Amino acid sequence: MSSLTFTLKSSPAQRIDCSLLTPDLLTDKSVTDIAAIELVTGNSTERVDSLFDILGDDASNIKFVNSTDKLDFIGRNMTLGKISVDGNVGGYLGLFLDGGQIEVTGDTGVYTACEMKSGQIKINGNAGEFVGGARPGYKNGMTGGIVIVTGNTGERTGDHMRRGMILIEGNAGDYCGARMISGTIAVLGKVGAHLGYAMKRGTLLLTQAPSQGIPANFNDCGSHTLAFLPLLFASFAKLDSKFSDLESFSRVQRYAGDLAGIGMGEILVKI
Amino acid sequence: MIINGVTIDETFAEAFPMKGTRLIITALNAKWAMISAQTFTGFATSVIACGCEAGIEKVLDTSETPDGRPGVSILIFAMGGKSLAKQVETRSGQCVLTSPTSALFSGLDSETEIALGQNLRFFGDGFQISKMIDGKRYWRIPVMDGEFLTQEKTGVQASVGGGNFLVLAESQEQALIACEAAIVEMKKCPNVIMPFPGGVVRSGSKVGSKFKALNASTNDAFCPTLKGQTKSDLSPEVESVMEIVIDGLTKEDIDVAMRVGIQAVCDLGAENGIRRISAGNYGGKLGPFHFHLQEIMA
Repeated sequence: MSSLTFTLKSSPAQRIDCSLLTPDLLTDKSVTDIAAIELVTGNSTERVDSLFDILGDDASNIKFVNSTDKLDFIGRNMTLGKISVDGNVGGYLGLFLDGGQIEVTGDTGVYTACEMKSGQIKINGNAGEFVGGARPGYKNGMTGGIVIVTGNTGERTGDHMRRGMILIEGNAGDYCGARMISGTIAVLGKVGAHLGYAMKRGTLLLTQAPSQGIPANFNDCGSHTLAFLPLLFASFAKLDSKFSDLESFSRVQRYAGDLAGIGMGEILVKI
Repeated sequence: MIINGVTIDETFAEAFPMKGTRLIITALNAKWAMISAQTFTGFATSVIACGCEAGIEKVLDTSETPDGRPGVSILIFAMGGKSLAKQVETRSGQCVLTSPTSALFSGLDSETEIALGQNLRFFGDGFQISKMIDGKRYWRIPVMDGEFLTQEKTGVQASVGGGNFLVLAESQEQALIACEAAIVEMKKCPNVIMPFPGGVVRSGSKVGSKFKALNASTNDAFCPTLKGQTKSDLSPEVESVMEIVIDGLTKEDIDVAMRVGIQAVCDLGAENGIRRISAGNYGGKLGPFHFHLQEIMA
């Protein structure tokens, strides 16, 4: 069996909702059935075979080729299997993801890993705003799983994040960890302004001090050796990421905040 | 059966089902990991009065522990899951949480789990922090020397308690030397502990007592000073009997430990005053696991 491949025929004029093209929904479907699925695009629908060339038959391993930032909702509600994307993707990649893996070779749009529950998403590029966040009006962002971004993330990474890990090899935009409820965000590069704004709990782990300084709403708790960090780094070892090569450290400067709220979050900066 | 002049009795040890778990205690250095482990496993010789039986299984080097620090693995057994959970919680809270630089992890994965740090976290008074790492929840509890890190839960498995054998010797000293030799070898076996002081018990018991309040009493048939007063199981030349009790995660683990221990005693042999190896056999009153000495040594 070869992977079920959807090759975009041409750059679409309208956004395409790809949420019906997941391993969960395509398993046991024939290529003919898959070709006849109607995808919402713009204010109408189109058959899958009018948008994509379809090859292969292994629905547990789906590939999108020639992808563009018009393809939204890839991997929505997925619980198993793997989706690989060659190119950029639009918004809501991995919305409600509850298992399986998604890997993208390009950039992603807004709300990547939005309300994700488990599984793994790897973005070999940059991610847009609200990575691991909650849908507008909702109060819980991702609740589990791992998101790896090899490039940079946009503003409000981990907004309302509840559990899980976001590992950023590049830089994180402004308001990283804003309104975070729990979970861990680790950044190898730089972070923007308003780090941990309205953060309740959770950990922002930085390998370098924020260039704009620690926010005024965080208090310095001193330098410490934290025993959980070696365990965290050990868990990175199996990941295909720079984090797996990161030399383990347990000495950090700890800042607690956001003290304008309950102040139970923390920024840990390697020392 | 006779091995090196030592008679192996045609009898069996009776053991009973228990629930067990393995915990790993780490610390800044091996000394403090051991102090914490010894404290945790103190007063845990017999489930009859201690509520559990616990002991140190192995000293772990830095490559064998979850946090890469020196550690000690301990095994703890109780008669049921609830009583085990209670013992684990109180001992963890009083002996590990309190011990400088310590951290506490589960050393046993199982579908059945009991609380480890799940309730200890409340000591953090709201400042405790949860971390999910590799699907396991850990608690970071702020304490005066830094943070106490503990895994939330530990696995529990059906285990076996009360495997045993008796060493019958011509003198106290010879019995003790033989038991010490056995313990040295048995400590190399995984998944077992010998919970009594130094691994050896001199007050083996029988089921029942002439006093109504007691469930167990001295094993008078093996008490050398009673040879003329009771229905003794001792020959005139036997002057001292000592017992080694073994708890293990499986019956097979106890089989191995008993074989290793009995062999070590027999290696000393009759020339060192060892006369017989026997076992605590209570006619089936005690438990369903039977360890036949001659089968083990065959």
